[in-house]
Amino acid sequence: MADFQTSTHKAKWILTHQQLVDKYKVANQNAIQTLEKYGATLMEVDADGSLSYPEPQVNAKDNADKHSRPKPLNIEEEQFMRVFYENKLQEVCNNFHFPHKIQATALIYFKRFYLLWSVMQHHPKNIMLTCIYAACKIEENHVSAEELGKGISQDHQMILNYEMIIYQSLEFDLIVYAPYRSVEGFINVMEEFCGDNDDQLLVLKNLHEAAKMEVDKIMLTDAPLIFPPGQLALAALRSSNEVHRVVDFERYSRSILSRQNSEHAISKLVESLNEIDSWVRRYKFPSEKDLKHINRKLKSCWGLSSHDESKKREKKSKHKSRKSSNETENMA
Amino acid sequence: MGDGSSATGGNRGLTGGNSNNNTSGSSNKPQWLQQYDLIGKIGEGTYGLVFLARTKSPANRGKSIAIKKFKQSKDGDGVSPTAIREIMLLREISHENVVKLVNVHINHVDMSLYLAFDYAEHDLYEIIRHHRDKVNQNINPYTVKSLLWQLLNGLNYLHSNWIIHRDLKPSNILVMGEGEEQGVVKIADFGLARIYQAPLKPLSENGVVVTIWYRAPELLLGAKHYTSAVDMWAVGCIFAELLTLKPLFQGAEVKATPNPFQVDQLDKIFKVLGHPTLEKWPTLANLPHWQQDIQRIQGHKYDNHGLHGFVHLSPKSLAYDLLSKMLEYDPRKRITAAQALEHEYFRMEPLPGRNALVPSQGEKVVNYPTRPVDTTTDFEGTASLQPTQPVSSGNAVSGNMQGAHGVTGRSVPRPMLGMQRMQPQGMTAYNLTSQAGMGSGMNPGGIPMQRGVTAQAHQQQQLRRKDPGMGMSGYPPQQKPRRM
Repeated sequence: MADFQTSTHKAKWILTHQQLVDKYKVANQNAIQTLEKYGATLMEVDADGSLSYPEPQVNAKDNADKHSRPKPLNIEEEQFMRVFYENKLQEVCNNFHFPHKIQATALIYFKRFYLLWSVMQHHPKNIMLTCIYAACKIEENHVSAEELGKGISQDHQMILNYEMIIYQSLEFDLIVYAPYRSVEGFINVMEEFCGDNDDQLLVLKNLHEAAKMEVDKIMLTDAPLIFPPGQLALAALRSSNEVHRVVDFERYSRSILSRQNSEHAISKLVESLNEIDSWVRRYKFPSEKDLKHINRKLKSCWGLSSHDESKKREKKSKHKSRKSSNETENMA
Repeated sequence: MGDGSSATGGNRGLTGGNSNNNTSGSSNKPQWLQQYDLIGKIGEGTYGLVFLARTKSPANRGKSIAIKKFKQSKDGDGVSPTAIREIMLLREISHENVVKLVNVHINHVDMSLYLAFDYAEHDLYEIIRHHRDKVNQNINPYTVKSLLWQLLNGLNYLHSNWIIHRDLKPSNILVMGEGEEQGVVKIADFGLARIYQAPLKPLSENGVVVTIWYRAPELLLGAKHYTSAVDMWAVGCIFAELLTLKPLFQGAEVKATPNPFQVDQLDKIFKVLGHPTLEKWPTLANLPHWQQDIQRIQGHKYDNHGLHGFVHLSPKSLAYDLLSKMLEYDPRKRITAAQALEHEYFRMEPLPGRNALVPSQGEKVVNYPTRPVDTTTDFEGTASLQPTQPVSSGNAVSGNMQGAHGVTGRSVPRPMLGMQRMQPQGMTAYNLTSQAGMGSGMNPGGIPMQRGVTAQAHQQQQLRRKDPGMGMSGYPPQQKPRRM
């Protein structure tokens, strides 16, 4: 559907910065509450796609003294974890030679999922793989879960278990608009704008490639949750153009705005583009040391700190009663 | 999309519903199911089953809802791609002449999806059949024109949103029964629909589409890339069928291989429209089957009998002019939905109206039969001849259905011909609270038993598919009138 204007993407999934901050806060709080209540945070997903809470851990509950309880991740640490796995997601997609569109769709699914949940509640590795699987299904590039699992030596059953939870968390809003196609459109307009001698076309082709790489970077930030794909594309083109110097960007932007009869004043647009740029500049990949630290914390939150204990949990979970995902929702 | 969960409202309710707890024991039904009284099964197809139900909530009490249950896709494939695609498209679109999704429910027991739509009492398949077999009289011109106009109106919306339906046929064109929306057309069944802007693969890789009688010649000849024009061909076929009450091109399908190349179907088309020529259709030469099968297709000589004779229209009439533009061989020259809506035919008396079934004055109103309902089938798709024991069987629906409607489990199912469609939808606001549930509360006996039941139902469907009467056509074979 070409019409972003009437899409669920526009209506429901373009947030203000404050909304984004609030959502992350709520997700973090929910995980912390679960930790306080159950001594662990990791939700269990059964083969039928239903969710259940962690089994209350006896020592955590009885001597609930603050020292023995695992320390929850803070919002920044959660962010790092997502960043790490979003990079992994791009890696996996590249290894499978999936088209950009699939990668972008999977990334957007991943980001939307973690607006609702904390990485403490759902292992980002599982979510990442399931998002890729779902994106392939939606973009008509079907890959079986088995094939996907094999390619990265992961158990594919886990992907199937998570699939429904992902769709639910995304509220079945599965059509997403990635900036790559918008970039293409803008490049086409530039062709008209620049005239079409062969030199120009080559230069434009280089600009196009550079802009795609720039979009790849933008897609790793939270900007896709805040800005529409057209603006993300323009921001990518603008920063690529600063290197390649193909067009007078301001003149070009003005011509686009007049074409689209948009209510956006040019200054408003520039402001958005600047913000997108700053998301890219502020992007931070966690250091090795950070990762180690966060991973250790995460494992204890998940209740997987010791091998024995995790085995025990597995056994127990077979007997315990299942709770509906709705109840988890009430917590979330 | 209007379901109240805006960006700020957040994701509340998305995993909504609940199976309450597994200890209550008072009711065996998942909560989402408790919103409905199940009436019975009204259709089935390769995708799964369609049920008629009524809502119990005070706001909409008694409102008829069609619930489409998708069977689980084959093992290891996860959630049915057809179901997911239909949901994702329906989530994005909203138009008076297109079905609208009211609700999505998840049955965790077998990981199947249930889509809830507003119920439409009629469809073009049944309307045509009623006129042909019962009334013995053509559909009145006002109704034909109104149905066609609304179908084009919905299709124009889809095409301008870059969606090709790909499976238009009379049974997928629903018409609302009594009520505020009486006589309004709803295009249904988006299981094969695709977005066609920049697909990652050529569309032909999505397998064979469109019931063969309504399949466009470029598809029959193996086109790799095709466009919204395939839907317009199908509309042309449907238009002719509304006029004559008979399918226009009734080819016999070769079912051995899932091959889009159907010689008999092409034969039927050529007999009516004459042979396509490179002058009229320049890109014909590039189509794989045209090249590969030179002898069989190109060797035949067909006389052009004239389409007008088959549809009993004067070649000078506006209806004929529009029809022939829909049945243009070259997809690039074929009339678009937008152009068709502007056609002079729709500006002449009788003018098309919103209630297609009730002409404004004078003419007598045809009372179309209501949809047959098989009251012996429960939501699992299994016949329940014995009222099931809710607790022990875990069968959520049958007990309620019999209690609420006094339907005995032993009633004989009425024959249901050509039931392979889904029901529609309406003006209700989106309420996409997908309801999880059915956890252990519904099935204390454990999951394996339920799975067994599903597998069985699945098998039955496979068997049915092989039955020619349940095949793509929906018409019993013996009813095929051969005119040529």
